[in-house]
Amino acid sequence: MSTADANTTEAERPTQATSNWRNWLEVLEHRVVGLLEWANPILVKETRQALKSKQFLLTFAIVLVACWIVSFAGRAIIGPQIFYIASGQDMLVAYYAILAFPLAVIVPFSAFRSLSAEKEDNTYDLLSITTLSSQQVITGKLGSAILQILIYFSVVSPCIAFTFLLRGVDAVSVALLLGVTLLASIGMSLIGLLAGTMASVRYTQMLLSVGLVLGMAFAFFGAVGVTPELLRESHKMIQDRDFWIGLGGVLTLYLTTFGLLHTAAAAQISFPSENRSTRIRYWMLLQQACFVAWMTVPPLLYPDEPEAVPVLACAAVGIGLIYWYVMGSIMTGEWPHLSRRVQRSLPSSLVGRSLFSWLNPGPASGYVFAVANSGALVALGLITLWANAPFPPFGLSATQISQFMLLGWCYLIIFLGLGRLLVSVLRRVAFVPLAAAFLVHLILMMAAIGVPAVIYSMSSQFRSSGYSLLLATNPFWTLSEVLESGLVSGREMLVYLLPAAAIVTFLLNLRAIGAELSRHRIAAPARVYEEEEELHPHPEPSPTSPWEEDPREPAKV
Amino acid sequence: MTSNPPNRPLIEVRGLHRYFGKTKAVQDMSFKVFPGEVFGYIGPNGAGKTTSMRILATLDEPTYGNAFVDGFSVVDDPDRVRRRLGFMPDYFGAYQNVNVYEYLDFFARSYGLRGAQRTGAIHYVMDFTQLDKLADKPIDGLSKGMKQRLCLGRTMIHDPAVLILDEPAAGLDPRARIELREMIALLAKNGKAVLISSHILTELAEICDRVGIIEQGKLLAVGSVDEISGRAETISKVQVRVLDGTERLITWLTARDDIADIVQKDRGVAFTHEGGPPKQAELLKQLVQAEFAVVDFASKTKSLEDVFLHVTEGRVQ
Repeated sequence: MSTADANTTEAERPTQATSNWRNWLEVLEHRVVGLLEWANPILVKETRQALKSKQFLLTFAIVLVACWIVSFAGRAIIGPQIFYIASGQDMLVAYYAILAFPLAVIVPFSAFRSLSAEKEDNTYDLLSITTLSSQQVITGKLGSAILQILIYFSVVSPCIAFTFLLRGVDAVSVALLLGVTLLASIGMSLIGLLAGTMASVRYTQMLLSVGLVLGMAFAFFGAVGVTPELLRESHKMIQDRDFWIGLGGVLTLYLTTFGLLHTAAAAQISFPSENRSTRIRYWMLLQQACFVAWMTVPPLLYPDEPEAVPVLACAAVGIGLIYWYVMGSIMTGEWPHLSRRVQRSLPSSLVGRSLFSWLNPGPASGYVFAVANSGALVALGLITLWANAPFPPFGLSATQISQFMLLGWCYLIIFLGLGRLLVSVLRRVAFVPLAAAFLVHLILMMAAIGVPAVIYSMSSQFRSSGYSLLLATNPFWTLSEVLESGLVSGREMLVYLLPAAAIVTFLLNLRAIGAELSRHRIAAPARVYEEEEELHPHPEPSPTSPWEEDPREPAKV
Repeated sequence: MTSNPPNRPLIEVRGLHRYFGKTKAVQDMSFKVFPGEVFGYIGPNGAGKTTSMRILATLDEPTYGNAFVDGFSVVDDPDRVRRRLGFMPDYFGAYQNVNVYEYLDFFARSYGLRGAQRTGAIHYVMDFTQLDKLADKPIDGLSKGMKQRLCLGRTMIHDPAVLILDEPAAGLDPRARIELREMIALLAKNGKAVLISSHILTELAEICDRVGIIEQGKLLAVGSVDEISGRAETISKVQVRVLDGTERLITWLTARDDIADIVQKDRGVAFTHEGGPPKQAELLKQLVQAEFAVVDFASKTKSLEDVFLHVTEGRVQ
């Protein structure tokens, strides 16, 4: 090699390196583009839109400028002391406030608007006739919200790294704060989307907008207000085992509720003949299973405090009954007729029908589903209670707690059953949608609480005598009386009255339950089988061993 | 997508009803559309055209009855129907901050098209609708005609076997209408079933193989324009010109029971004749046998507008 050649090669080396680097980037870009082929179409479209939208650019610029202002102003205010005092915590709170605003308000509200605007701009119809499933639509919209959240995080993250250098905050606390904020923002965006699916007409859109903005403002101010205290206490909290256990419980609740809301939002926008209920019921079952699992944790962790177990069981059953009442109020509002599409997927075997019929859509199956699940919870509560009966807590007897649980369950059976019957009667004369059916349950409960309360307040005789059987329709008052004083002085009647009323209500619903249970699976139309056969033809029979004759070959004579 | 046997209709509506409270938007509607056929939907505003089209497009559910696209029920198998169907509503759903290419790309992705198949479909559609030069133009800035083209492009991006076009020519200038008509004719030639509604009846008459006249939710007549005219035609206007003897012709015509409103025009006689084309042929034969030197015998063919007005009995507001 001549000197000249050597010189040329030396000069070309950086160019070659740049070229390699570019090639590598091109390969990477190609791979990313290839991956994007499989990305959710809504995510792709909304990302394109967001990057061109003035609203996003403006918010992005405001967050960026606010971060700069806080950095410069904070540095100026702290002055030379920045080298001696730990000022990271104060700066972190300021940066957090900047980050929390888009995360708690802008992104969730944009998620709500992105779905409701589709309806306003007449693009929703075009979207719903594509082959995208309702789950994909919700996931795409949520993905777009998550992308925006991550972009806002990326703006503030250098500033947060800066606070870490200023001392006063530890990495675990910062990670926890940001992690919780990220999850909260994603959760709020999902709530925004769920609200968007409900905003079918202008006035509901207005009402939901106002409700959402108020909720988001509350979340924003709450988060910013609590953060300084949380950061101050974070050292102690992260060393406490109970904190991590509690966080695990909250995370489980978050994840299962997230799944439930996502499925509910997708169900809201799915085609009317689709099964909108079964998946939601699976999520409810999972929530109940997680709830029961978490309830077993404290007794395992604190075996030396057995008196806490009955209280915990009592509280768990109380929460569970409220949960199943709310969910039951929604399920009993479902439409009683099953579409042919749903009927095609009904369980057909005897075992399947007896186990899974309660997961089928329908008000009566929903009623049984809520009653059975709450019953299982009450049974578990009673077993736990009586296993720890020698340790009655706070002067409460095991009998009192048992009565609380059982009477609470009776109330659930009565109120859900009566509500379902009322909705069924109303549907004979008018169209009662799901939301109106839920309202019927609410009105029934309010009437049961309010009417005796009015009579009670108007009569001095009743007022002076304290709790009486007149108030038996008020579950909250009655159950608190059961826990506080037990069933004494004439209140023993409740032990017979409420279960009898529960049995009668259940029997009144039995006909509808039987009708829903007797539904059979129907065959899909021939055209569906025809297409399935064309799309997924049966494989040609082939020999499964070397000794077997090939069925494709003509038979030897 | 599966192949369609020629005898199977791509669209079949069976006893369709749709009620909104007490309003009966669609009542007992039934018809079929076969591959390669353009079916025109004629009716005044509020007749139930859009409602029935929305049901076919899986955007609404019927109260009773059913509709099928390529043999799949729109109620029970909407996902299978959507793969085969393109719907162009009478409004343009525009997304903000999206250009023509991105708009088509989004819908191509939404119909599950990937990679080269997707880009191929976008380029084909842009070429077909002549939007290829406007690929980078924001859709907000498109003219009405261009938006209609884009909407048609979106409708056919996944190569559906069935196209439902609700008032596709509304608001278009004459040139754009002609171009749209040509595009629809080409789509039908490619074997697609097209259901199209329009207020411009002359246009429908030119491109439709069959029409359905709908009023107050009811389908009053279905068939080709000639078939419906034939069925509707009980009295037609006829004009006859003879070489000489116009006065004798008037006297001869006056004596007949099936002829009325005789008027002598410039070089002939105009009158109304009761009976369809066979009776008109018989009349001409009798004129010749009566030794009239007939040089012109014309009966006015009914336009689609005449047929529509006759079938709807003038109830249209």
